[in-house]
Amino acid sequence: MLDSVPSFTRLVVELAKFPGIGQKTATRLAFFLLRQPAAEAEALAAAIRELKERIGFCSVCFHVTESDPCPLCLDPGRDESLLCVVEEPQDLVAIERSRSFQGRYHVLHGALSPLDGIGPEELRVAELLTRLRPGKVQEVLVATNFSVEGEATALYLARLIRPLGIRVTRPAHGIPLGSDLEFIDEATVNRAVEGRRDF
Amino acid sequence: MNISRISLRQFRNLEPTELIPIGGFNVFWGNNAQGKTNLLEGIHLLGSLKSFRGARNDELIQHGETTCRLAAEIENRGVRRQVELSIGPQGKAARVDGKEVRRPADFFGHLRPVLFSPEEVTLLRGGPAGRRGLLDRAVFQADLTFLDRAREYDRCLRQRNRLLREGRGADQLAPWTEALVSAGARLRLDRGRYLDRLLPLLQKAHRQIAGGEEEVDISYRRGTEADLIDSLRGELERAKQREKMLGQTLVGPHRDDLEFCLLGRSLRLFASQGQLRSFLLAFKTAQIEDLQNITGVPPVLLLDDMTSELDRCRQNYFFSYLRARQGQVFITTTDIEPLLAHGISTARYFRVEKGTLHHDRDE
Ligand SMILES: [Zn+2]
Repeated sequence: MLDSVPSFTRLVVELAKFPGIGQKTATRLAFFLLRQPAAEAEALAAAIRELKERIGFCSVCFHVTESDPCPLCLDPGRDESLLCVVEEPQDLVAIERSRSFQGRYHVLHGALSPLDGIGPEELRVAELLTRLRPGKVQEVLVATNFSVEGEATALYLARLIRPLGIRVTRPAHGIPLGSDLEFIDEATVNRAVEGRRDF
Repeated sequence: MNISRISLRQFRNLEPTELIPIGGFNVFWGNNAQGKTNLLEGIHLLGSLKSFRGARNDELIQHGETTCRLAAEIENRGVRRQVELSIGPQGKAARVDGKEVRRPADFFGHLRPVLFSPEEVTLLRGGPAGRRGLLDRAVFQADLTFLDRAREYDRCLRQRNRLLREGRGADQLAPWTEALVSAGARLRLDRGRYLDRLLPLLQKAHRQIAGGEEEVDISYRRGTEADLIDSLRGELERAKQREKMLGQTLVGPHRDDLEFCLLGRSLRLFASQGQLRSFLLAFKTAQIEDLQNITGVPPVLLLDDMTSELDRCRQNYFFSYLRARQGQVFITTTDIEPLLAHGISTARYFRVEKGTLHHDRDE
């Protein structure tokens, strides 16, 4: 690499940390930025800085947001008795895009996976139970992924939530087994949420 | 299903090989250690991505090379496909019709070869894992989705074992136990359903081989999915204390044994070498028949060194069975006399010498 130009090398090393980006692509991107006008590079740097300064997680539902609580949590038009639990913010976005769900959300930030050292303490489970305690929520739709880990997480949550007298449901079939919600088309998500079943 | 062209490059000890097989019998013959079985292994890899000898990638690549490449043209009911496999020390890359295949499941099914190797006789007598493997490979050949379910179960199992090893409490273990129960019951159901189909075919084939005196059976858990869920849940419940102590899952389809029976007695414990061979022959014949019933086409057979392992009586049966059936067969042998004596109809002979293939005659 261009060892005589340390600032260039530093950029390549940082870019290569992105998912799906290898050394080769990182070098290409760095050369692209080098050729760009200074204003373009400034705009990118500012966008990245703002991401960390202004965007955080909602203290209620743990979705990404610029204001806390997030607009979804403040929206009075949303059904408070219905709560949808997802693994990641992008899953929430997929369900929102399908317009099939009018309740509120809770983002776990992952799924149980002992092999990866992820237990209930690593997820937003305690916060979920705190939200359920006041008794407004009547149904929890557990929309974790249809992977082994997503299913186990759903089973784990169901065992915690059911004793509170709250109905627990799971999206219906129609979602291919082992697939991530994020990659499924809107119509399929829509059908799956409408046809949810008790769990 | 027919292979119409095979090409092997830098594979094991073989010189670059281009091979045009015929629809009937293809015979690889020559002395031992010349590369006959390597040819079968190459064909088998193109259908299963796995070496039937359990070889690692670097063992498949020719000494001094970094990759090897296997390719075949497969004809199935008028459709021609090219399947290709590149093997490097780090992994395998598969292509179908020039396009890279990401999920292994998309590669299987183009060629579903049934392998018959005399070494498999030892599986009948060995530990439970060998018998499970024999059955699971047959189930998978007939139903390619079985692999996804087996992997799902395996993933549950490893997750649950990690919790057991870490000594986690019942509340954390419970969801994984439930997930394991439903995935495990499904595997047992898959195996049971397959055996329900296979048994009549197995018994029929065995009667023809052994002369109708000795009835065979395979005993394994049967029942509806709900029954199997209940029973596996119960087994896990009873194993709870021992699991805690040993830190691993002790019951389930990964530990099940299949009892192969002859006249109601365990084949493993009581059968002679000849009886074991008859059983294996009947099992394979039944598997071939079932696969043909399911796919509608005769599968490609790979027979490794059959003539040396079967006595005259079983050879007679097997070759008359092979003569009567349609479909492509690849055979390795040190001695072509028995094949000529059995008058296998259309055959192409390839002599294998020091890794080189000589097409020497057609019959
Ligand atoms: Zn929120």
